[in-house]
Amino acid sequence: MDDVATKIIDILKKHMKEPRDDIGLSTALTDLKIESLDLAMIVFDIEDSFGIQIPYNANEEVEDFKTVGSVVDRVKALLENSGAPAKA
Amino acid sequence: MTQSKGERRRVVVTGVGAVTPIGLDARETWSSMREGRCGVGPIETFEIKDLYIHIAAEIKGFDPAKHVSSRKVQYGDRYSWFAARSAEEAWKQSGLPTPIADPYRAACIFGSGAGGFNTIETAYDDLFLKNKKATNPLTLLRIIGSSASAHIGIEQGIKGPTFATCSACSTATHAIAIGADYIRNGLVDVAVTGASEAVLTHGSLRTWQAMRVLSPEGCFPFSKKRNGTVLGEGAGALVLESLEHAQARGATILAELKGVGMSSDSKDMVNPDVEGPRSAMAFALADAGLKPEDIGYLNAHGTATALNDVNETNAIKMVFGEHAQKLPISSTKSMTGHLLGAGGAVEAIACIKALQDGWLPPTIGLDEPDPKCDLDYIPNVGRAAKVENVMSNSFAFGGLNAVLIFGKPPA
Repeated sequence: MDDVATKIIDILKKHMKEPRDDIGLSTALTDLKIESLDLAMIVFDIEDSFGIQIPYNANEEVEDFKTVGSVVDRVKALLENSGAPAKA
Repeated sequence: MTQSKGERRRVVVTGVGAVTPIGLDARETWSSMREGRCGVGPIETFEIKDLYIHIAAEIKGFDPAKHVSSRKVQYGDRYSWFAARSAEEAWKQSGLPTPIADPYRAACIFGSGAGGFNTIETAYDDLFLKNKKATNPLTLLRIIGSSASAHIGIEQGIKGPTFATCSACSTATHAIAIGADYIRNGLVDVAVTGASEAVLTHGSLRTWQAMRVLSPEGCFPFSKKRNGTVLGEGAGALVLESLEHAQARGATILAELKGVGMSSDSKDMVNPDVEGPRSAMAFALADAGLKPEDIGYLNAHGTATALNDVNETNAIKMVFGEHAQKLPISSTKSMTGHLLGAGGAVEAIACIKALQDGWLPPTIGLDEPDPKCDLDYIPNVGRAAKVENVMSNSFAFGGLNAVLIFGKPPA
């Protein structure tokens, strides 16, 4: 796993009531028992850490937020568009 | 289980007033609702800067010098302007004298979810961006969440209980409920009740944006396409009186406030629970001494968030049973936007007007309902219907629920 993925997993673990060590790219966010407010906090943390803005809406089921890997891909795409270095 | 009491005085409404994105008074607001007019549009009253939410339901063309009669209130925050204007309209309609003859027998319970948010932002701007040495000396008084209630009390000469309620999107409904309780139990004869909200600022929108609950497109309650709520601003005021007080002075009675129900989910700050709304509606029915089938119209909380509209629909089904399928329901937030703390008062006024006019306001923007929202939401066009009793729901962040039931004036 690369730096972006590692960093995102660290952020996820920080916001979980019972952090797990078996989180991989294929892990579904629904399996992490993350509630909507936690997700808003996680997205904020990711935005803050990587210096990007993620247009996430809690009212919509978005493909980008299904698995850990999809979040990582989305963040990488936003980083490329913003011209920021991939390593946060 | 009920929250109703034994002997008590009946409470009636003798005046209403409103300032909303679809009307600078209650009359204009109601005629806009009849027309299905939408107050949501591109943000014009402040700079969007880096926001990605570009829409709101703003009150445009509001000039305190023109629309607020009191010089003292003109010095207040925008939320106090709306509050004072709506209260003055309601007071004038009630026909009560200014100042009121028996000032200690009147209450002013007038809330706000956020108080003087515009003032906070201006003050921070002055201090931290413009490096000014001091804030405007009126900053503190403008910010305080009870300044609107104090202003109204001063204007109408009210010397009884005067304070603000604060319960996010249930603020106004709780204020009305408390005013009604004071009258029922004989503490006062008259109460000005309601709430005001004016939080459309860049900083405020940033906080809402961070919660990820706003729609970038529009406020479409119960619709399949709904993707969040839209912030609005405004105020609503109701003058409540004991029935005998209103009758003794020959006042025109607009409606009776028959029932109040309050509850808390006691569960989560954002995710609503079905039990809280269900119990609040059931308590209101029991308090009014009515059966579910006695309710002819329900003004839903209907915020157009993914969670609320399904949860509220489920709670309505639990309370109303078979009658839920026949009960006309609408969310006037589709037209006003979400007035937050003030919403419950404006929606109570919509209920009272529906009773008076025999006409039910629509939920606009409802082309294709969410399959999980399968009741009659009066889609897009309002309709004529003679109703005897109406219910208004307010459910707030934190799971704070308050429900009112109004009926036609006593014969």
